[in-house]
Amino acid sequence: MKQPIIEFKNVVKSYGETQVLKGVDLEIEAGKFYTLLGPSGSGKTTILRLVAGFSSATSGDILFEGKRINDVPANKRRVNTVFQNYALFPNMNVFENVAFGMNLKGTSKAKIKTKVTQLLAMVRLAGYENRNIDELSGGQQQRVAIARALANDPEILLLDEPLSALDYKLRKEMQYELRELQKNLGITFIFVTHDQEEALAMSDWIFVMNEGKILQNGTPVDIYDEPINRFVAEFIGESNIVNGVMLEDYLVSFAGSTFENVDAGMRPNEQVDVVLRPEDLDLTTPENGKLVVTIDAQLFRGDYYEISAHDDNGNEWRIQATNSAQINTRQGLTFDPEDIHIMRFNESEDDFDARLDNYEEVGEMDE
Amino acid sequence: MNINKTRFWPTIYLIVVFILLYAPIFYLIFYSFNAGKYMHDFAGFSLRHYRQLFNDARMMEIVFNTFIVALLSSLIATIIGTLGAIGIYGTKNRVMRNVILSLNNVLMVSPDVIIGASFLIFFTMLGIGLGFGSVLMSHIAFSIPIVVLMVLPKLNEMNYSLLDAAQDLGANSWQVLTRVVLPYITSGIFAGFFMAFTYSLDDFAVTFFVTGNGFSTLSVEIYSRARQGVSLEINALSTLMFLISLILVVGYFMIDSYNSGRKAKKGKLSA
Repeated sequence: MKQPIIEFKNVVKSYGETQVLKGVDLEIEAGKFYTLLGPSGSGKTTILRLVAGFSSATSGDILFEGKRINDVPANKRRVNTVFQNYALFPNMNVFENVAFGMNLKGTSKAKIKTKVTQLLAMVRLAGYENRNIDELSGGQQQRVAIARALANDPEILLLDEPLSALDYKLRKEMQYELRELQKNLGITFIFVTHDQEEALAMSDWIFVMNEGKILQNGTPVDIYDEPINRFVAEFIGESNIVNGVMLEDYLVSFAGSTFENVDAGMRPNEQVDVVLRPEDLDLTTPENGKLVVTIDAQLFRGDYYEISAHDDNGNEWRIQATNSAQINTRQGLTFDPEDIHIMRFNESEDDFDARLDNYEEVGEMDE
Repeated sequence: MNINKTRFWPTIYLIVVFILLYAPIFYLIFYSFNAGKYMHDFAGFSLRHYRQLFNDARMMEIVFNTFIVALLSSLIATIIGTLGAIGIYGTKNRVMRNVILSLNNVLMVSPDVIIGASFLIFFTMLGIGLGFGSVLMSHIAFSIPIVVLMVLPKLNEMNYSLLDAAQDLGANSWQVLTRVVLPYITSGIFAGFFMAFTYSLDDFAVTFFVTGNGFSTLSVEIYSRARQGVSLEINALSTLMFLISLILVVGYFMIDSYNSGRKAKKGKLSA
């Protein structure tokens, strides 16, 4: 494995009595797009501030390319930040804002001019050099902030919920642009957001956080398909979570019936959470359904119908369907064995990975 | 019709209030042009009191002294007060910050007489001679809290992430201060300077206690002369002072409206 560019070793951050980071370990490789995803107060911005050097860890080590940087001040780190509220200097125009870092370093005037022109062209703001900050729209300020942060040629660009103040359409557009920018520059991006859709769309790797801990990390597909616990499953996308019992390997019982599935490695008759994603469920006739549900309500979402229903055991089901359904009718519900995802209670990420490796190997050998 | 009716009484009220406020001043200005010696029986237009004022070497020296003290004290107080405000802003401990701020505010509200008396005791105890130095020092002292109060709101208004951003881009503490913080709070610093300047100009009570050795400022001098009956020379001086402050206010208003007009124009362009 390559030397990670940033490494956290059991990092704790407390403010007085309250611990906002409870022993975080993480490794970040150069050149990838990372996302720290979690609700507000989960500690994701704290991690960003520790990397940037705005605050210092209470205990634990923060390493940059293998060297401890706990005591290196922010102005000496090869890391730059795009702030949530952009934090552009109001007394300077666009050019002066972008040139701020280079001016401090004493770069020559000619060099600064070329670089600023180039950066502004990159964020599609060519010709805006002499505008004042208060003359720019939110999206334009955002781009200036990105250009200003990139002007110092950072190894890592930190982005603290930079899209949260933009409207929906602009946000979507910026998601593409940021992703593109990261690929073109080839530097590491660490992106903080509470928007799971944003995280899934942009990232190479996601850290899901809650209450000062990293609950799960992995590729967007891994995290979406194999959430480790109820919190992650509910936070990443819509999901149906019902109580079930793992009767034996590859056989689970929930909602009054027994189903074949693809999970293994648990104790016989272990109590588990069963997750089914709404888009994996299909409506059919009651005879063909694995479960029978009664339709309660439906909402038209543009590209699909969101239908809520309940089965005879009182479990709520949420279904995404392309066709509308008749309210108060009884319908069958089908899904494939691989759509059923099992979550054990209080399983740590390491145990989860170990179990997955274990039975996947066994499965491959059987074939 | 209806609007005119509802506006009638408020307008009258306003006019009456302004007449009450300005009548004494205009009365004083009017008699400064009196050919006679007293503030009654207008004997005809004359500039003799103005001539007398400009020939009064002691009075001119005192005017000069007053402005020097005001200028120096407000300059020094602005520097100290601005640094103090930045210090208070940077104090993370909430209790500590409130204590410092309260100590600052107590000086603002405590009566001038008490401040003046305590300075007198202080200077005599230290054996500092009364005169220009003691007046300057006491003026600096009572101006600092004013500057702090004018600068601190601007600092609090500033987004803290601006400081983080500057540091993030490679600025050390000095560069953060000079390139980001000071430009941001400039208007507050100027407001503090002008407030301190006017406070120093018209201070009587504190100066009265700590002045001595023939050193005097306008308000103290006018007070001591008024006890023997106000000469119309004072009226002439007051008229000039009134005009100067009027010009200052109008000038400030014009600069202000010019700036905000430019800003509004720019805003329209971008929209």
